[in-house]
Amino acid sequence: MNTLDNEINEKKINETKEEVKVKYINLPLQFSSIRSEIIKKITEICESGDFILGNELNNFEKSFEEYCECKHAIGVANGTDALMLSMVALGIWRGDEVITVPNSFLATAGAIVAIGAKPVFVDVGEDYNINPKLIENAITPKTKAIIPVHLTGRSADMNPIQAIAEKHHLYIIEDAAQAIGAKYFGKIVGNFGITGCFSLHPLKNLNAYGDGGVITTNNDEIYEKLIKLRNHGLKNRVECELWGYNSRLDCIQAAIVNIKIKYLDEWNLKIRRIAKIYIENLSGVVKVPFDKPHEMAVYHTFIIQTNKRDELQNYLLSKGVETKIHYPIPIHLQAPARLYGYKEGDFPIAELQAKTILSLPIYPELTEEQVMYVISQIKSFFR
Amino acid sequence: MKVSYSYLKEQFANPDAILNDIKKIIMEGDFTLGDELEKFENNFALKVSKTKYAIGVGSGTDALRLSLIALGIGQGDEVITAANTFYATAGAIATTGAKPVFVDVGEDYNINPKLIENAITPKTKAIIPVHIDGIPADIKQIMEIAKKHNLFVIEDACQALYAEIDGKKTGSFGITGCFSLHPLKNINVWGDGGIISTNNEEIRNKLLLLRNHGLINRDECEFYAYNCRLDTIQAVVGNHLIGDVDWITEQRRSNGKLYDFELSKIPQITIPKRKENFTYVHHNYVIIVQNRDKLLNFLRENGIDAKVHYPIPLHLQKASAYLGYKKGDFPVAEYQSKHIISLPVHQHLTEEQKRYVIETVKEFYR
Repeated sequence: MNTLDNEINEKKINETKEEVKVKYINLPLQFSSIRSEIIKKITEICESGDFILGNELNNFEKSFEEYCECKHAIGVANGTDALMLSMVALGIWRGDEVITVPNSFLATAGAIVAIGAKPVFVDVGEDYNINPKLIENAITPKTKAIIPVHLTGRSADMNPIQAIAEKHHLYIIEDAAQAIGAKYFGKIVGNFGITGCFSLHPLKNLNAYGDGGVITTNNDEIYEKLIKLRNHGLKNRVECELWGYNSRLDCIQAAIVNIKIKYLDEWNLKIRRIAKIYIENLSGVVKVPFDKPHEMAVYHTFIIQTNKRDELQNYLLSKGVETKIHYPIPIHLQAPARLYGYKEGDFPIAELQAKTILSLPIYPELTEEQVMYVISQIKSFFR
Repeated sequence: MKVSYSYLKEQFANPDAILNDIKKIIMEGDFTLGDELEKFENNFALKVSKTKYAIGVGSGTDALRLSLIALGIGQGDEVITAANTFYATAGAIATTGAKPVFVDVGEDYNINPKLIENAITPKTKAIIPVHIDGIPADIKQIMEIAKKHNLFVIEDACQALYAEIDGKKTGSFGITGCFSLHPLKNINVWGDGGIISTNNEEIRNKLLLLRNHGLINRDECEFYAYNCRLDTIQAVVGNHLIGDVDWITEQRRSNGKLYDFELSKIPQITIPKRKENFTYVHHNYVIIVQNRDKLLNFLRENGIDAKVHYPIPLHLQKASAYLGYKKGDFPVAEYQSKHIISLPVHQHLTEEQKRYVIETVKEFYR
């Protein structure tokens, strides 16, 4: 721990009870280490006026391709658009069905509905990801694709999912918005589906200073189509091949994440180290996530489970520890899902988890003292 | 001498003041939605569109798309627009599932109100007049037609920020007005951005949900929606520039007037008739010329970055193939696409540069 961290920590310990000792997220801290590099780059872009579809976007897409070990990366406006444009590129449209999970962020279902398709939910397993055993029951003649979500930064169980998709001739679109850098049997997420969809939202592991997203693909045809779809269907400046969208990743945002991507492995390593400390100290106290040997999770969120979730959350807050719930209401119980006839009891695991899950602070800048403080407060709650 | 079409280098030669405010956002970590965006929306509504509300979104295209969706327009519906607009207008219509229906333009490059009624069918839900190049469309006639047929008017004001008809701003006539903040627009940010103006509270509330996943709070979703937000750091840029809107507009207007005066002396050039009660903002300065392609080359050879907005009308694009249009359907738009040229008209042009543009055009026709 460096001197600055020491100072901050000392200051925090001296603060009163009401003060937040461990924030759920601390973006300014992340910024401080790379501040000058980023401001210099933004200034350069301003001077060049190269704000849209410029060099910085190309550079970032190349870095992302290298990082994800895939053939193509396409910067888009956000993670939701990454999903939506993937489906449009695959010709999924009105009347089609797309299978996904009920415990994801709303955007996954939103993207499906945005293109006119119907979201079909499948319950999740202990790992918070889609339960492959339940997928085939949800397939109908209208099903066109499966969107497994690598929730919490852990890869979904891709081998059985791929086998099912192959058997039923369905596309897989990976929702990797929370899982950049996660691996499954040594292969990095974003390479299992026809596309992989990533978010660069400020609260993601690789984060821009605004909205941003990236699509990965190893398919040349889909790549060509996505390049047009994100930019008004334009083949060149004057020829429009298909009616498209405006969904471009701003060059400024691309430049920022292109600086950060160099540090991503280091940051993910720190996050995994924090996860390990949580797991070692909290097993037996609350339900903690665990890594299977073939998994390398990047812990976008570190989720524990307890029946006393709300009390624990309040207790922790009173001790200066911010926590969050991802997410308290499953998608199928949100108002718009009623249109599709979903009701309470349809997905018991997701529903149970929604009542017991709690996300603990986890980011590279957390100090070991802060982590131990969170642990000690959880232990003292259950004592 | 070089005369570039873009003015970004001059405009952002010294970005320190803006960067300092962006640094504050970074230190707060307040990157999506938030105070700066609200401030920009209020500024825009008060100063630029003169409407009750303004809602920041991802781009001008999304401003159109979300307006259509907020009005319940989609699959099976038809939306009327001009045949010569930027691809995004038709793209916004088509991506909602509705069918774009094109109408030919007049000598002012804008939709010809006399031809609109012919294009109306029982499926028509809205008209999107485009105030192209900063020239206001004949909005009063269009509003009358819309009223008669019970249609919505969504103004595509992407190129016409701060233009006026009888002293009333573009974007304040229709149910919504759609603006782009793209780096090459009259008020511009450092990436993609857009904003919707409206006087209708219900539409405004719907748009606020539509742009942010339909969320009424962090955890509750009212309807499935989109992610289509104007970045907070871009709102910071917008807040810095919005005070310049009078100066920017005045510069462009005076450049346009000088060009009008000088170029109208050339018999091979036709300038659209200017109306007394319209305020033009000259996003592009577009004239109809003989020997267009040769003039274009001549200007470029002489360092003048002239352009064509746009060389292929929408109904002749490959994307329109399924709509069944053919060459000859919109003779005015087709003629103009072969004869229009856009001269640099931006607010940072020097007197010398403007004179050089005029003299070079004159030299070509001499």
